[in-house]
Amino acid sequence: MFKAKRRTVVTVTAALAVLLAGALTVTLLTSGNGKASDGNSVTDGNSVTYTAGHRPLAPDITGTSLTGTAIKLSSYRGKTVVLNFWGSWCAPCRGEAGVLALLDKQYGAKGVAFLGDDVGDTPANALAFTRGAGISYPSISDQGYAVVAQLSQVVPVSDTPTTVVIDKTGHVAGTIIGAVNYGEMTTLLHDAEVTQ
Amino acid sequence: MTDTRTPQPPPESVAEEVEAAHSFSGAKEERGTGRTAEPTAASAGWLRWGWRQLTSMRTALVLLFLLAVGSIPGSVLPQQGTDPGAVQQYFASHPGLAPWLNHLGLFNVFAAPWFAAIYLLLFASLVGCVVPRTFRLVGAARTPPPRAPRNLARLPQTSSYSSTLPPEAAVDGAAAVLAGQRFRLRRSGADDRQRDGASHWVSAEKGYLREVGNLLFHLSLLGVLLSIAAGGLFGYKADKLLVEGQSFSDTTAALDEFHPGRLVSGSDLPPFSMTLNKFTANYIQSGQSRGQPSNFDADVSYTASPGAAPGTYHIRINDPLSVDSLKVYLIGHGYAPEFKVTGANGQVTYDQATPFIPANTGTFQSDGVVKAPGTATGTDLGFMGVFVPTAISVGGTLDSIFPAADNPAVSLIGYTGNLGMNSGVPQSVYQLDTTGMTKVSGSPHLLAPGQTWALPGGKGSVTFVGVKQWVSLAITYDPGQMPALVCGILALAGLLLSFFVRRRRVFVRAVPAASGSGSVVTVGGLTRSDAGGGFEEEFSELAAEIAAAEPAGHSEPEPSTKPEPSKQSEPGA
Amino acid sequence: MSVNLGFAQASNDFLIAALLIYSVAVLAFAGDYAFGRPRRTAAAKAAAVPAAARLATVGAGAASGSAGAGSAVGSAESAAPAIPAGSGTGKVPAPRVGAMKAIWEAGPWVRVAAAFSALGMVAHLVAVVTRGLAVDRAPWGNMYEFITALTCVAAIFFGYIVVRYRAWTLGVFVMGAVVLALGLAETLIYTPAGPLVPALQSYWLSIHVTAMTLATGIFFVAAVLGIMYLVAERYRARVAAGKTQSGNGLIARIPSSAQLDRLTYRTVVFGFPVWTFGVIAGAIWADQAWGRYWGWDPVETWAFITWVIYAAYLHARATAGWRGARAHYIQLFGFASLITNMLVVQVFITGMHSYAGVS
Repeated sequence: MFKAKRRTVVTVTAALAVLLAGALTVTLLTSGNGKASDGNSVTDGNSVTYTAGHRPLAPDITGTSLTGTAIKLSSYRGKTVVLNFWGSWCAPCRGEAGVLALLDKQYGAKGVAFLGDDVGDTPANALAFTRGAGISYPSISDQGYAVVAQLSQVVPVSDTPTTVVIDKTGHVAGTIIGAVNYGEMTTLLHDAEVTQ
Repeated sequence: MTDTRTPQPPPESVAEEVEAAHSFSGAKEERGTGRTAEPTAASAGWLRWGWRQLTSMRTALVLLFLLAVGSIPGSVLPQQGTDPGAVQQYFASHPGLAPWLNHLGLFNVFAAPWFAAIYLLLFASLVGCVVPRTFRLVGAARTPPPRAPRNLARLPQTSSYSSTLPPEAAVDGAAAVLAGQRFRLRRSGADDRQRDGASHWVSAEKGYLREVGNLLFHLSLLGVLLSIAAGGLFGYKADKLLVEGQSFSDTTAALDEFHPGRLVSGSDLPPFSMTLNKFTANYIQSGQSRGQPSNFDADVSYTASPGAAPGTYHIRINDPLSVDSLKVYLIGHGYAPEFKVTGANGQVTYDQATPFIPANTGTFQSDGVVKAPGTATGTDLGFMGVFVPTAISVGGTLDSIFPAADNPAVSLIGYTGNLGMNSGVPQSVYQLDTTGMTKVSGSPHLLAPGQTWALPGGKGSVTFVGVKQWVSLAITYDPGQMPALVCGILALAGLLLSFFVRRRRVFVRAVPAASGSGSVVTVGGLTRSDAGGGFEEEFSELAAEIAAAEPAGHSEPEPSTKPEPSKQSEPGA
Repeated sequence: MSVNLGFAQASNDFLIAALLIYSVAVLAFAGDYAFGRPRRTAAAKAAAVPAAARLATVGAGAASGSAGAGSAVGSAESAAPAIPAGSGTGKVPAPRVGAMKAIWEAGPWVRVAAAFSALGMVAHLVAVVTRGLAVDRAPWGNMYEFITALTCVAAIFFGYIVVRYRAWTLGVFVMGAVVLALGLAETLIYTPAGPLVPALQSYWLSIHVTAMTLATGIFFVAAVLGIMYLVAERYRARVAAGKTQSGNGLIARIPSSAQLDRLTYRTVVFGFPVWTFGVIAGAIWADQAWGRYWGWDPVETWAFITWVIYAAYLHARATAGWRGARAHYIQLFGFASLITNMLVVQVFITGMHSYAGVS
């Protein structure tokens, strides 16, 4: 008798477990978006700021500019770098270009360098855009998203446009995914100035 | 779960016969009717009743029906998961009906909660059946076979012969034969002989694999479900369109579409990169199947990770590339005519091979859009184009008669004005928003490769440079794939076992012969009245073998007079 | 990849020949059904003995001459109780008389029918093989080829059943259905021999589609038997209720409902694992070609629905109150679902599976 009772308990538990686990999994699978957060960073909407001392080291990015000159990220050591991933086909990138051009004019002399990374594009299209948008800083020609892949190992670069601010020591201070606005950028630049 | 009861001998038979046949059937069936077990105490009784209902065969039947019927709308109505565009179209063409269907979840049936409820209940019912049966199987495997009935002549299969050996020795011989056939045995003991007199018997049983197969099948189905869930949680799917000469790296920014599992994020993507060197599509040139594709080949170079040695591969349909744990599949292809657009001042504003989407998959007449933003506001140029790989003119209309790019041509409608790309609002690269633009006179304009259309009013020009092809690739990762396959194969194995193995019992009883020396040996056999026939042949072979195992001096085994006509030797047969 | 037009033409010719030959066979089966030698004498003798689950009287132990090897027909069966106690293992005993002799002794109609059926099967098989030779691949790459192949399987499988169980009266129904299906294939669904589109150029064609062809052929037979069961069962119920005499009417000549029930069950049992294997093989191929092993594509969904319905049939047979006619309705729903999948879903609902070749 006892044995039969134990069997029943096992059986009922197993069946209920299947039901519950199944319901949970199905709910999990069919709803919501994943969000990851790190103890050492602050995520606010689409921007992530890394606190000083917890900034990941940016990889050694190299490439060729749209006009054919060689570019190395390491040569920018000692300056704060704003690395902007963009494409001439990308409407939000075109929309934010004005902000970046303005910031370049204002902060360029204050130890901030702007660098673009042109993805999924042809040099002709890209140059046509930069000319028209008044962007004078160089951009790496990155049709195959290689630089994106490199940087993605360290910080998420999940969409176009993405703007990454790298501090003077070559560590990533913060990222903004999506088009940037003036206020966000200035805040990020000031945070980046705080050295570790 | 084919649980048909063996029909019972008439009730006046000895209790052992009933036992011999009865304990064959699982008690499952009783529960199956759902008519037993009334609630006793209030809530415990209800729970018990509910439980019994859930695990009854009838509920399983109903749930199976619901599962089948519930899948039907998933195949007839457009589904969000596979073709969101078609869902939109359905909404457009059925404005009254569509929202109701949407409320019922019919545009995403297989992710709908009610569908999940059906299969989850089904699996709960399955587990509720399988677990007790497993216990019962273990128990049955431990209990010895039942005693041999006294009167073996009543069994469906029976034969008897005379033996020169005394009963015990005869039964020993029979037991040896049965043991050689891997039957489980039970011998008569002293207290049995007290009841039965001087007869000895051996009782043999075989065929537990049937139930093992049954349980294996059902549990494997559960395994398949779990594998699918694992794939959904940890796997992902992505799409990428690549033009010849282009490359991409496996990052979410680069991918056109990225569908991660719930527990997957972009940083889980392995860092591989790939370049499309060349795409070749061959078509049948002549005969009845002219124009049908005969071969697709995407020649790619790839590196599994930055700095790793590059590899090359030819991706074909049915032949994906495996990189790390990913697979890259060739899904589709099309044409990307290359255009160069210059502005009013002659400067190049656009120079790119532009993917066009095929409108007709037989002839590959394709549609596309070129957006060439200008330097000054209002000087944007936009073109809507129709590309034909092998052009002919049918009464003035451009058409394609063959899918290969034998005679490419493109017809463009031009627009000038404001494309709206600088506003920051995302646009589809395949659609041109002409609000804010004016049509250029002289549209549509036909261009062959190398030709240039100088737009009127000095607005600029567009040159049709040449034609490239593009491929669409699917990149997938599914950790649940191999487990699902393994479970599927196990399920099939279990199915075969449960169908073609029968639980059967053979009894051998020997009584001392009337003449005083030797014995009369009766062999009886019993099986479940089920699928695979053939027990009869097995039984007669077994009986013959038992008799043959005797040392010389016995008579041939003779089937006793039986209701079975096959056992009657008729004169003149 | 060029088509061997000689073989293609030969395939068409042989198929039409098979169609005509089968038609003669069907007529002969019908003739036997309507005018064949009465086999009631054997049945009357059998009535003295509980008839149990047999479709053949062993030996020619009939009072009158050579009628013995025919089916023990329904009249005696219908009078007998369902499954007599003690003999009801449902086994069909292996007949003792050789197949050829049995066919000969069944009468001239059956001889003609058997001869033409066999000839038709040969022609049919040749048609399928030459089609394969014409296109240098497994000859089931589109709907026309699929139907031709599966009817060949059905015909041969059915031939085996008829000979094994001496059930000549089943002939007119199953072979008639085969003729109808072939006629449909020839007229409405015909596709000229040609190479496969790249998506189908895989060795999985030989595995997945072969399995589905086999399973469909087997389920085809089960469906015909199921319909016959329902007819026989209704007849039996009417006799039991006294509404009809168990005479020598046409319906009385088909095997008893109990026998048909068992035969149907065995056929489904044979076909279900093949269908399961076919679905698994299809999933493996889908993963190879499309990047996912299950995507609820309409054809996949209906294959799943068919599988579930046949599973329901198997469960029903083990559930009290659901055996008998109800189970058979389920089985027929399963086949209806299969046909829907084949002729409606694959042709009219666009999905990735649209390889029917039917425009």
